[in-house]
Amino acid sequence: MLYRVINADELPALIEAFMKDYEVVAPVAKGKSFAFEPIASFDEIVLDYPTTLTSLKKYYLPPKETLFEFNTGGGGDGIEPYEMSVKPRVLFGAHACDINALNNLNLVFDDSRYPDPYYDAHRKATMIVGISCSPTSTCFCHLLESDEVRSGYDLFLTDIGDRYFVSIGSVEAANILEAACDPREADDEDRSSFRKATRARQEAFDEGIPHIQEIPMLMDAFHSDEFWDELGGRCLSCTACSSVCPTCYCFDIVDVLDPSGATGRRDRVWDACTSPQFALVTGGHNFRSSTKERVRHRMYHKLNGFNSQHGRYLCVGCGRCVRACKADISPIEVLRFFEKKGADDAE
Amino acid sequence: MPNSTCVKVNPLESASIALSGAEMMRANPYRPWPARITSITQLTETEKLFEFRFVDERIRSAFHHEPGQFVEVSIFGVGEAPISISSSPSKGGFIELCVRRAGEFTQRLHEMQCGDVVGIRGPYGNPFPFEEMKGHDILLVAGGLGIAPLRSLINNIHDERSEFDNVTIIYGSKNPGEVMFRDQFEMWRHRQDFDLYLTVDNPDDTWDGEVGLVTAPFAHLEVDAGNTYGAVCGPPVMYRFVVEEMRKKGISYDHIYMSFERHMKCGMGKCGHCQIGHQYCCIDGPVFNYWEAKNIQGSM
Repeated sequence: MLYRVINADELPALIEAFMKDYEVVAPVAKGKSFAFEPIASFDEIVLDYPTTLTSLKKYYLPPKETLFEFNTGGGGDGIEPYEMSVKPRVLFGAHACDINALNNLNLVFDDSRYPDPYYDAHRKATMIVGISCSPTSTCFCHLLESDEVRSGYDLFLTDIGDRYFVSIGSVEAANILEAACDPREADDEDRSSFRKATRARQEAFDEGIPHIQEIPMLMDAFHSDEFWDELGGRCLSCTACSSVCPTCYCFDIVDVLDPSGATGRRDRVWDACTSPQFALVTGGHNFRSSTKERVRHRMYHKLNGFNSQHGRYLCVGCGRCVRACKADISPIEVLRFFEKKGADDAE
Repeated sequence: MPNSTCVKVNPLESASIALSGAEMMRANPYRPWPARITSITQLTETEKLFEFRFVDERIRSAFHHEPGQFVEVSIFGVGEAPISISSSPSKGGFIELCVRRAGEFTQRLHEMQCGDVVGIRGPYGNPFPFEEMKGHDILLVAGGLGIAPLRSLINNIHDERSEFDNVTIIYGSKNPGEVMFRDQFEMWRHRQDFDLYLTVDNPDDTWDGEVGLVTAPFAHLEVDAGNTYGAVCGPPVMYRFVVEEMRKKGISYDHIYMSFERHMKCGMGKCGHCQIGHQYCCIDGPVFNYWEAKNIQGSM
């Protein structure tokens, strides 16, 4: 990976350069919280934001997206020519966890057997500029190998005081960076500052969140434990966890008829495995009829299932669900349970 | 707003300019292709067998399935449903789907007539290991509508009957009126192609088959365990009992195959609805062997 250094005061010029050809989406203040939103000027951006309320997944997988339009006339093809509009966009200021989350979604939607043309169109029209961060009290990305990111971005900026250590991931971004700023080779002081910055981040994680080994194995080993009755028993099935999660990608496919009934569209809409009807089949059997089964399945997919398929955790430890859940259900609770089991054994 | 401009993307465009049927189907995997109903057979009070032919010749010639696979059927305005293929791949040009009237979608399908057009995409899923099964005894166990996916395998075996040793079918239903494809199976039994055990839970005066659960015939079944493949499909509660009977007969874990039912909404390992433990029923299944199933949390 190619590295360069720019001065912090060059950042507005970089944003302006992106704005010429792209919609720039960046973290902005939203009441007491923060959100990714299209910006009109550099001044709106909060560079040292903690975590946004919702993630970036909506830019690759919109909450509702039309797959095609149809007529119900019968006799013919039924499918109408359909165009989707994709806006060239820069996602500026993404944290490592959120870029890792998009990388996880890529594994699902760019699967070589069934590449998804809609997701692919969004992805191809999007540039990602990441930025380094300091962990909040609900961040546990470091426990799930997501506090660093090595691919999936066009630029990644690490704050090293009055300048940025810039990792350059694409030629398009390199061209814009070189035109807008004056990137220079890193010197020993830059490299030393970079090292200090990454170490400072490592040391800032909340040590109250237990560091557990062999999580996927434990998810199997404790699959029948009473813990899941207790955790699931609290679930309100509100699906807030899935909405805010940067890696929850489950969806439903629904036909929506126009008032005439003669035409309509097939939409893909976000769905959630914590929703009561999610595993219901025609005929009435529900394969996960209890909140216990649904909560356990969601955690299992995040901390075991995806690993089996793709060799990495689906959960990136961003902590959004920790704050969103009214019933205090989160992967941190699962880690605490494993910690307690270890402690019980030691007694 | 910044000076960004929208890029128009037509996800269906490449489908219209592609050359071969395979390329057309691959260009947009969410796009169903028009298929005409060419035959309808009323099997029971609630089940019909539909025969479909793709309207576009390129799709018709590119569509190849294997026993155990399924398709996604579209009725525009109603939605889409995963339905297992009941016909043998050895007969090309059409597919048969056995459909129970159970919800809004299947109700609408049951109201359709010959000549009506639906959308179909697929086929999806891992099939039964047909080639691997050749040269062995086959023990097929179906419960209720579970006969639908197994019929594809049964018909395929029948079309290449000399490739297999002894073939036994155990098929359980609740009532005599719910037994499907009985004439066909009885004919094959008569010709000594298959051993056939039909059982029902609730017999009536006309019933001359066995009575009891689908596991009952195992009591007097002789199985050459080392040379036998099992294939199972039925309601969720049935699997555990049937595979245990097969295990008692000595059939190896990895020679017992079963087809699972889940809601395969997209069919392509994305939407999540059909997840079982760490697997997707649609792309990792729906056919799993018992060893695989044992390693999937919540499979049975």
